[in-house]
Amino acid sequence: MPVAATGNPQVMMHLINTHKLFLLLPVFLPGMLFAAEVVRSADAETGLHKWHLVEGNLEVELVQRLPDQTRGFFMARGLPAAIADEIAVSCIFQTIVRNTGSRADGGTVGVDLAQWRVIHEAGEQGVRLKEPWLASWPETAVSEASRLAFQWALFPTRQEFLADDYNWGMTAFGLPPGAVFDLDLVWQEDGKAQTVRIGAIECAPDVERLQ
Amino acid sequence: MAAFPRLLLCGLLLLVTGSLPQAGQSLTPVPGAIPAPDFVLPDTEGRLHRLSDYRGKTVIINFWTTWCPPCREEIPSMNRAWQQLRQEDVVMLAINMGEDEETIFVFTADYPAEFPLLLDRDGAVIARWPVKGLPTTYIVAPDGSIAYRAIGGRAWDDVDILDTLRALQKQR
Repeated sequence: MPVAATGNPQVMMHLINTHKLFLLLPVFLPGMLFAAEVVRSADAETGLHKWHLVEGNLEVELVQRLPDQTRGFFMARGLPAAIADEIAVSCIFQTIVRNTGSRADGGTVGVDLAQWRVIHEAGEQGVRLKEPWLASWPETAVSEASRLAFQWALFPTRQEFLADDYNWGMTAFGLPPGAVFDLDLVWQEDGKAQTVRIGAIECAPDVERLQ
Repeated sequence: MAAFPRLLLCGLLLLVTGSLPQAGQSLTPVPGAIPAPDFVLPDTEGRLHRLSDYRGKTVIINFWTTWCPPCREEIPSMNRAWQQLRQEDVVMLAINMGEDEETIFVFTADYPAEFPLLLDRDGAVIARWPVKGLPTTYIVAPDGSIAYRAIGGRAWDDVDILDTLRALQKQR
């Protein structure tokens, strides 16, 4: 059971914020449980949480983004308010992926967001990918510049990383603010599919709920 | 319990380093001598740059935006590298994706860049290069082929990277 789920959330938040407590969360392989290096921490100033995972040559960090943060980012780049709001409340995380392997290994890490699964109390779903989102907007409603900003701000749907390669981008998990979910994170390492489950990831709450 | 010291070490490392990305020091060779897609773009001072005009020189082509954290992070090291390489027939072109001169002008007050900052306002150039995320950098050899790439930021003034760039220039 996730450590974070065993105690009083307010006490846990206090410990995290005051002592930078790092938590070991369970990570699953199909049919097997083992303790991978998933570290959950919180920023002392913003209260925003992040989940950090190292497994094989893959390093992933998921950092909460406040809905207001995301809304402001896209409105500043010309997206209509209604669309910016729809994105903002879709459980956006800043996602960072890196290949930690060495040049001598020559190993590749491949990520395909279409293979990631989001498991929550109402069921299971995929990540919201940018391609169908872009295609859903009427041409006249969103300028080319705004489309470009959206396209490049979101994490690529598919990308391969060699040693030292990394990328940042927003990932939309398609859940409301404050929702909790498990993530089956799938990647290819040297062509072999790997899966870990990160438990109890929390979408950033609305700003007023942070108080 | 054996995992705890490792976890603690990982946590302490995060506290010290702040966040995940650390600029790597390596460039990935691109096999096959693929010709670099040519382009003509203006820089922030209105000068036109045509990639094919730089034939005979090593060209560093960096795709970036002002709002991309690792792009911002690597610009100071790019500037330091440029100060060392500019006299050695190595060219550095940073292609901004989708932003205007004013945005970049404001940005360079905090992140000075002496190398040319090119404007790809409609994303037409970046669409012709195999770029998935920002920043991405390609190194074009003096013969016009793509020699190396780097996905994510790098410490561009690192000795190994500078040596790689100088060696490529000497091959012409």
